Amino acid sequence: MRWRIAVWFVLPAFLLYTLFTVYPLLSALANSFWRWQGTARGEFAGADNFTSLFTTFPLNQQLWPALWHTMAFFAGTMLVQNTVGLLIAVLLVELPVARRLLRTVYTVPYLIGGLVVGYLWSLLLSPVFGPVNASLRAVGLDSLARAWLGDPATALPVVILVNAWQYLGFPILLFGAALAGLAPEYTEAAKVDGANARQRFLRVTLPLLLPAIGVVSILTFIGSMNTFELVYSLEGAQGNQPTGPGGATDVLGLIFYRVAFQEGGSNAIGQSSALAVLLFAATFAVAVVANWLIRRREITLT
Amino acid sequence: MRWGRFAGYAMLWAYAAVALAPIVVMLLNSLRPNTEVLSEPLRLPATLDFSSYATAWSEASFSSYVRNSLVVTISAVALDVAVSLPAAYVLGRYRLRAGGMLTAYFLAGLMLPVRLGILPVFYLLGTLNLVDSRLGLVLVYASSGVPFSVFIMAAFFRGLPRELQDAARIDGAGELRIFSRVMVPLVKPAIATVVVFRFVPLWNDFFFPLVLMRTTGRYTLPVGLTQFFGEFQTNWSALFAGLVIAALPLIVLFVVATKQIVEGLTAGMGR
Amino acid sequence: MRPHRGFAVLAVAASLAATAACTATGSSGTGDVTLSLWSWRPEDTAAYRQIFAAFEKSHPGIKVDFKAYKSTEYNTVLSTGLTQSGGPDVMQLRAYGGLQPLIEAGELVALDGKVAGLSNFETTSLEGARGKKDSKVYGVPLEMSTFQIYYNKDLFSRYGVQPPVTWEQMLTGARTLLDNNVTPFATAGKDTWLLPLYDDTFAATRYGGPAFEKKVLAGQATFTDPDFVAALDVLNQLKPYFPKDMMGLGETEAQTLFATGKAAMIPEGSFALGPLQAINPELELGVFNAPPAPGAVVTKPLQVGWVDASYGLNAKSGHQKEALELLQWMTTTEFGQLVADTLKQVSLVKGVQPGDPLLGQMVQAYRSNPTPYLMLVNFRYGTPLGSDLQAAGLQKMLLGQQNPTQVAGDIQAGVSQWFKPQ
Repeated sequence: MRWRIAVWFVLPAFLLYTLFTVYPLLSALANSFWRWQGTARGEFAGADNFTSLFTTFPLNQQLWPALWHTMAFFAGTMLVQNTVGLLIAVLLVELPVARRLLRTVYTVPYLIGGLVVGYLWSLLLSPVFGPVNASLRAVGLDSLARAWLGDPATALPVVILVNAWQYLGFPILLFGAALAGLAPEYTEAAKVDGANARQRFLRVTLPLLLPAIGVVSILTFIGSMNTFELVYSLEGAQGNQPTGPGGATDVLGLIFYRVAFQEGGSNAIGQSSALAVLLFAATFAVAVVANWLIRRREITLT
Repeated sequence: MRWGRFAGYAMLWAYAAVALAPIVVMLLNSLRPNTEVLSEPLRLPATLDFSSYATAWSEASFSSYVRNSLVVTISAVALDVAVSLPAAYVLGRYRLRAGGMLTAYFLAGLMLPVRLGILPVFYLLGTLNLVDSRLGLVLVYASSGVPFSVFIMAAFFRGLPRELQDAARIDGAGELRIFSRVMVPLVKPAIATVVVFRFVPLWNDFFFPLVLMRTTGRYTLPVGLTQFFGEFQTNWSALFAGLVIAALPLIVLFVVATKQIVEGLTAGMGR
Repeated sequence: MRPHRGFAVLAVAASLAATAACTATGSSGTGDVTLSLWSWRPEDTAAYRQIFAAFEKSHPGIKVDFKAYKSTEYNTVLSTGLTQSGGPDVMQLRAYGGLQPLIEAGELVALDGKVAGLSNFETTSLEGARGKKDSKVYGVPLEMSTFQIYYNKDLFSRYGVQPPVTWEQMLTGARTLLDNNVTPFATAGKDTWLLPLYDDTFAATRYGGPAFEKKVLAGQATFTDPDFVAALDVLNQLKPYFPKDMMGLGETEAQTLFATGKAAMIPEGSFALGPLQAINPELELGVFNAPPAPGAVVTKPLQVGWVDASYGLNAKSGHQKEALELLQWMTTTEFGQLVADTLKQVSLVKGVQPGDPLLGQMVQAYRSNPTPYLMLVNFRYGTPLGSDLQAAGLQKMLLGQQNPTQVAGDIQAGVSQWFKPQ
């Protein structure tokens, strides 16, 4: 293809993407190095906006718990959503009856969207008027009925479970596709060698699935770093306070939202941009390293 | 072995129940009068009462939220596909001098948390006079989808046999013709994948319209929904009805398009 | 030449986008000026429609488009909305510290000399809408809010409980209710903004109310003062009488508990009267103020009250003249009476009769024994907001994660970053 024609093919996508995605993010990067007075740019601030994140009370005390909650959210999601997703995907390959119907059913919660899911579950989990406690009481488990989202011990796990409920269809589909792409010869060969189902899964299927698991893990990580809607709609926004009982479900995405829009500090743009840059750098670094590890592993496998 | 199969099926169906139960409760409670929903959270409706839907649809202008969401989401996905398709074609099928760098440039966007650029986006749209306009939202949405769309479709183009376009070229077809007549029809599954996987998050997005839209008449569903939750906060039956209205279009889309999605995804993963 | 399919797709996208653009900038076409007005009270949408219908009748040529955002999202929407076109002409403003950033950014029009009707308000009523630096008035006060304890008359008489005169009587009554499986106080811990108000309602007497306010502002006392710490602890002592699930309950759930007779009392604002009656129109309501808490500095019940919302004018509005006309109308007794009767709130316009005897009782109590919503009135002039610090701290205290001394220490540490006593 001639270079000149190629340019016309690529240009619209390039412009659209550059103007509305890349430029704003670069802008945020630039903004983080200036002091702001409302929407007016003040003097050059160097790293002040970054250091102020860690020195302003109470922000400095909210940041670390939020980082911890975000990591716990990621770990919990990996543990619950992705392992159950993998299990179900494997079962779906082995058990063909109503496979398509089941796959559709599992994906329905994903379609509903974070905000609707959050609102729905906040109604379901209401301590007094919610069906969840009502059904626990109906079967005599009164002692289990509790303020699920108002108890620091259960709030974050519940958020993780609701999130898993919503997104489970995603790993099921992805792992399902990866499993379908595996050449059946490998497992057949193992079968011939007399390996049982569990051995076949652990020794043959699982290693072959590693690239897919890697992709799912990276996507889960990026998603965790950006978690916002679900917690926001489950726990409600509380002005400029950590979200959840005693701040138990406060995550980094919410801190960004608060600094940018809720706190009302005059340097909101500078400080929130600095936070955005840090978040982005962390997400990007982890994703790149993880991607590199997966690639390396792939090469040694093949 | 038989026990294993039985346990497997039991597990699959048990989880299907978990996945659906909350949705069923949502549906049932939207069909019961509010006082009953509050006094007995868990019961079958005695009679079907659709008045909550009437409340949500007319009093709370859900009709206009649905229309806005449709216009914005469809336009954004269409624009996204329209610009990404030719770009993916070039990047997927040709070795260009700057091709590697361009591909990397687009793929970086897969990891960019677009949301963190919300303030600059807001001021950018301000200078373009596009705050509180559906067009502004469409542009931001379409742009944010470009990396994913290019990524998926380029992978498809890459997998098509080389001979196809050589044959067409021998027939004397120009580049545009080869692209639109030969290549595009072959990547339909990829287009379907992109459409569905972009449609869902855009339909559900809450953050951008919250900050960018001002006029109730231009609200998309998720923002309209928060408005609704504020206004009807003690009418749980209506709240459930609003949630059903917000969720229904996507469920319909998925049931209709399951085949395309699953196939598209499978093909995308195979490469 | 037949069009290529790729371009057909592009064309469709372009035309769709164009439709989106066209519909986005459509105008009404009549000669009327439509003022857009923003509020954080979606629950009042229906009432406001009635109110502005009255305005439109007497002011032909001006229409008011009322838009309400959820209270918790209002600040986000307003702060971005005022910096660009597409913002409101007239909008509800937070009081005291809440509106200072908007004033400092030059986004509001000072109303002195422009809205003659400001003289229909007491000077103290205008304090909530004044710029801290220039002392100009930026808003027409909409209403004042009071916060007190509502009780269900039927439940009280059924269990022989009286509105209490002493703290001990209040606790005895609460125990009686508890024994009968009725939650004494419907409190909501999920909407944490309520917690500082609960503390003022139950324990302003303990820290000393307005006298303490004066001392803190003058720098003669801090929030680590033993009286203030003890006042925080009062909520801890009342915890047995709050719902067990309090931290999972939002404000509307607490209201529903109370209105449906599952709880006998609820500490709530004057602004909740309408919503409470809407949930259960048959509810027989009474109100009282908490008796002086044990060890109280002030030995009579105090009524919490503050000037809350006002309506201000966007400096970028293209309809300054019409907007001023609307604001002028908001200073009249006609509007004030509509606020009292339709919104069921306490109007500050002189000469307006309270729309409900209960509101009259609240205002009367405030006139005789006022105490401020301490954190809102004085400690929202910088970040972190005093009210946020107290709310977060009280939640931790009620969850048993912090003791009152730690909560007070955090409040002091946060506020002292920007607060300079005068």
